[in-house]
Amino acid sequence: MTPHPPSSDPSPVVVLENAQHRYGRHQVLQGIDLTVSPGECAVLYGANGSGKSTLLALLSTRYTLREGRYLLDGIDVRQEPHEARARLLFIGHHTHLYGHLTPLENLQFFTSLRTIPTTDQQLRHVINTVGLNKAVDKPVQWFSAGMRKRLALARLLLAHPKLLLLDEPYSALDTQGVGWLNAMLTTFLHNGGSLIMASHDPERVAALPHRPWQLARGRLHPISNAQESEAC
Amino acid sequence: MLIQAIYRIAWKDVVGDLRRRATLSSMLFFAISVLVVFQAAFEPDRQEALRLLPGLLWATTLFTTLVGLGRVFQAEEEDGAFEGLLLASVPRGVIFFGKWLGNLLLTLLVELLILPLILVLFNVDAWKHVPAILAILALGTLGLTGLGTLLAAMTRGARSRETLLALLLLPLTAPMLIAGVQAIAGILQADGIVAPWIKLLTIFDLVYLALAPWAFGWLVEE
Amino acid sequence: MNILKKIQLPTGILTWITLIAGVWLVFNVPDDFQQGGAVKILYIHVPSAKMALLSYLVVTVASILHLWKRSETADILAEAATSVGAAFTAMTLASGSIWGKPMWGTWWAWDARLTSMLVLLILFKGLMVLRHSLDDPVKGARATAILAIIGAVDLPIIHYSVVWWRTLHQPPSLSAGSNAGIHIAGPLLTPLLILTVAFMLLTLYMTTVKARQIEARRRLDALETARMHADE
Repeated sequence: MTPHPPSSDPSPVVVLENAQHRYGRHQVLQGIDLTVSPGECAVLYGANGSGKSTLLALLSTRYTLREGRYLLDGIDVRQEPHEARARLLFIGHHTHLYGHLTPLENLQFFTSLRTIPTTDQQLRHVINTVGLNKAVDKPVQWFSAGMRKRLALARLLLAHPKLLLLDEPYSALDTQGVGWLNAMLTTFLHNGGSLIMASHDPERVAALPHRPWQLARGRLHPISNAQESEAC
Repeated sequence: MLIQAIYRIAWKDVVGDLRRRATLSSMLFFAISVLVVFQAAFEPDRQEALRLLPGLLWATTLFTTLVGLGRVFQAEEEDGAFEGLLLASVPRGVIFFGKWLGNLLLTLLVELLILPLILVLFNVDAWKHVPAILAILALGTLGLTGLGTLLAAMTRGARSRETLLALLLLPLTAPMLIAGVQAIAGILQADGIVAPWIKLLTIFDLVYLALAPWAFGWLVEE
Repeated sequence: MNILKKIQLPTGILTWITLIAGVWLVFNVPDDFQQGGAVKILYIHVPSAKMALLSYLVVTVASILHLWKRSETADILAEAATSVGAAFTAMTLASGSIWGKPMWGTWWAWDARLTSMLVLLILFKGLMVLRHSLDDPVKGARATAILAIIGAVDLPIIHYSVVWWRTLHQPPSLSAGSNAGIHIAGPLLTPLLILTVAFMLLTLYMTTVKARQIEARRRLDALETARMHADE
């Protein structure tokens, strides 16, 4: 196991205790326990249908947790979902971008829905940082998949979440993009953010200090780095 | 802050529509075709046209609203946008009101264009009543688009959703249709009754604008 | 669901007994001096209308329970009562028309009761269609439950708006027809009471059979899904 950086604040960002999730008559997740500290990165491995997406949906509050306990930054997510949503950012397969809006307008929309006060100048700066300065006034519908991904990740620089959830973040990124993303995530972790990502790409995750977990048949187990290379 | 979020969602929908020139122009041309159908079907003379005016106006509005409602959530289908909306840190009722406001603005704009069109095409001389008629149309439209936006959310991803939307919306709007038609008819007559119908329209609006955001929250919960 | 299996046969037998007794009585009481033989159809019409509304009440209560407690049993009950209610609503409209022809001289009058019943029929149909238009049965059940509650709020508004409409707007000649409504008194009341009980039993019986059928159907679907997952 890769050692994770020690942090001054010992209280964990995510505490998930005995979480269950059923869909119709199908038990998707059972007895999930997961604790993630500030600055820690947890990577979830699991085959299709193992419950990876469901677990991320539960963590992101997209699905409502009905059995078990979920504390996010000390907030009971079942009691105060809006408070919890303000503290997390989820970036999945979809970029949640509107094609008819420009990058600037998309980010304006994002910040007003999260009630984050920002100026256009700050937004332009963020767009420059993710390398989209040439396309700042073009509608997003003309963007390539990689450009959209960059714009989606730009939200991380605006939202300052306690918890970042990523579903297959490396897809649609080239080698340069992977390096750029890992640099961004390293900074995020260094500043005390917590990261949970689903992946089936141990090689690309290797650059980040992380703790691997395996989901199988709706149950979550910690695994060692040796097992990690076989997991996916 | 919450008001700003409502405004942003509505702004996004209206601007998106104007940029793509999608819903607004389809609604308008649909309304014109409905008027052509009415003219061909009833061939009213000036006297009859005046009597038919309230019904024509509301029937055209109702059908045209259906066209707009079919597209309310279309922008949210693209690249998981709806999921993004639900992850916003504002209450779900705010998201509902944002979607409602966007649809309301487009519908009001179409109504503003339809009314003079009807007066011209059917040769009705009711120009002095235009502000009052528009006020009643707008009053009914508040609840109509409230209920409609909720039903549009309900039929998201449904098979043959446009037909389904019509099947669900039309019977539930019966009170609004009755009250709206009677109120406009009351305005056009010298000694017509208007007040109780305005009351009924207001009740309809209040019930749906109170019920719909709550129902929307339940609907999107997973 | 077990209790449904137990009550099905006794309810069925009781339904037959009361129905036969009620119908026998109907044909052995003297005709109404004003309305003649046509009055007999009211013995079907009145209980049908009551059962249509009772079924909608059951659908509403079951829908609230489904949303609140996530009870699948409540959802099955709602689905069953929807079909049964639709049947009784159609029966009410048909029998009302047949009675209206000799009494009012028309098959149909736009009075508050008939109009509300017609809207109720469309609403029942809407509930059935909505449930099966969504591919995900869990979402279908949820949307249907919400629609049922909205309908329950709308029905009284529809009823009163039609009442207002008739009183404020229509010339009295027409509304007099609908006011010459339904009067049943004295010895004619006994068969009506018995038939109302019979129709209640019939509603219970039909809902039981339908609910068991839906339950079996869903169990089969769940098995099929499980089999597909096992093949994967």
